[in-house]
Amino acid sequence: MNETAGPAVLAEGLVKHYTGREGTVEAVRGVDLEVSTGEVFGFLGPNGAGKSTTVRMLTTLLTITSGRAEVAGVDVARDPDGTRRRIGVALQEAGLDPRQTGRELLILHGRLFGLSAPEAAERARELIALVELEDAADRVIKGYSGGMQRRLDLAAALVHEPEVLFLDEPTTGLDPASRLTIWEELRRINGDGTTVFLTTQYLEEADQLCDRIAIIDGGRIVREGTPARLKADLRARRGGDHEPTLDDVFLDATGRTRARADGEVQEVTA
Amino acid sequence: MTATIVLGKRALREAIRTPDALFMTMFIPIFFLIVNTGQAAELFPSESTDFLRGQGYGAFQLPITLLLAASFGMAALFLVEEIEGGYFDKLRAIPIPRYAIVLGRLVAEGVKCVVIASVIVLIALPFGITIASGVFGFILLVGLTAFWGVVYAGFMQLVALKTRSAAATNSGGLIFFPLLFLTPNFVPRDMLTEPMEIAATLNPVTYLMEAMRSLILDDLDWEKILPGFGVVAAMGVLMLALTVRMIQRYD
Repeated sequence: MNETAGPAVLAEGLVKHYTGREGTVEAVRGVDLEVSTGEVFGFLGPNGAGKSTTVRMLTTLLTITSGRAEVAGVDVARDPDGTRRRIGVALQEAGLDPRQTGRELLILHGRLFGLSAPEAAERARELIALVELEDAADRVIKGYSGGMQRRLDLAAALVHEPEVLFLDEPTTGLDPASRLTIWEELRRINGDGTTVFLTTQYLEEADQLCDRIAIIDGGRIVREGTPARLKADLRARRGGDHEPTLDDVFLDATGRTRARADGEVQEVTA
Repeated sequence: MTATIVLGKRALREAIRTPDALFMTMFIPIFFLIVNTGQAAELFPSESTDFLRGQGYGAFQLPITLLLAASFGMAALFLVEEIEGGYFDKLRAIPIPRYAIVLGRLVAEGVKCVVIASVIVLIALPFGITIASGVFGFILLVGLTAFWGVVYAGFMQLVALKTRSAAATNSGGLIFFPLLFLTPNFVPRDMLTEPMEIAATLNPVTYLMEAMRSLILDDLDWEKILPGFGVVAAMGVLMLALTVRMIQRYD
């Protein structure tokens, strides 16, 4: 793990265009990123900003229109299999095979990553304990709760001890208790030296977990830095006594403002 | 190869865990075998109908029953379910040849078709249907059925990969399905009306059906058997080439 000396993730001028009947859509318009080894990096942005598209390019699931990317020192476009050996991926909406048991799924992933049958079974046992699914491990996944599916998805992404773990909105739709459990697991995984690249819509999550964050809007990075630094910058620009939150940074960066109506805070596009 | 086998075993487990789908795969073709035989058996008494070679009309109907059963494979629907649910992307993010994801399902489909075809033939035997070409002919018959099942499932997987939609994949089945019926499935080709005979002659499935029928009604007649294997081999090569191309370009 973490054999790479350089950045864990490096993107230079990353662009993704989709061409369809209605013309060309520029989903990502020149993203530059550098994530250090061992970091928890938060990638934030409104819906449709280009977060998932960027993650899908970095994880070899989408071809790159132009620009280049390296993950764990491997060029994503030139050596996709080399990249896949070094990354773990848990995408939005825990994609799992509902007809397998949790244990079968983890053993399957172990076998596909080249472990022998006994090695895969042992690794599955370790991961089941790690994500605390011992009681459910031999039940089919279809019966798992959302939180259990997320934890299993996370375990499946860790089967081969990846150097970089990509998590695309890992806590979306979870109840607060399940979210906290995922946070604890992420901290533990990161504590073991795995770089974590996390997209999230929850700014509190980013504030709690991430060493650094980048905010993407309209396919471009509009802010990047540590949460504390971004908040300090905003305070310096705005002045006054109000201590900005990451929500304020996000709204400022994406050109959105808050409006109060009937006691509720609403987000309004500026 | 390991990845294909590992994923094939998973697909077999999946099939075993969906017995309702397996039941329908068996039930509908057997239902049509019974209904079609019941409706037409008196029209074609075995004693006076040359093309039956002394067997009952059920033996003549058995090939379409087997082809129908092999064409009810669930591989494409399970694949599109995984595409829609996101597990397909999880598999694509693993360093295995991407074609293994679809080939694994096809391997399982082949195994499943061997079992289903064997069971259907074994069910047919007590009703007076015999395999005139013997045990070797039975193996060839089951093999042809399984190859067809794999080819058909492969083309359906192409629809699934192209459309990424369960509804469209279901509709895709309706496009291929008529091929099974533009064949001499009720009477031999030379007894069809001229337009139907032309359509059946142009339809590659006809040669597959005639090979299967030959294995049931005749001794080993390679002139009829080999074109059947030729059709599944040619269609199989085409299907594999298109599948590998499509999944490599899947974005």
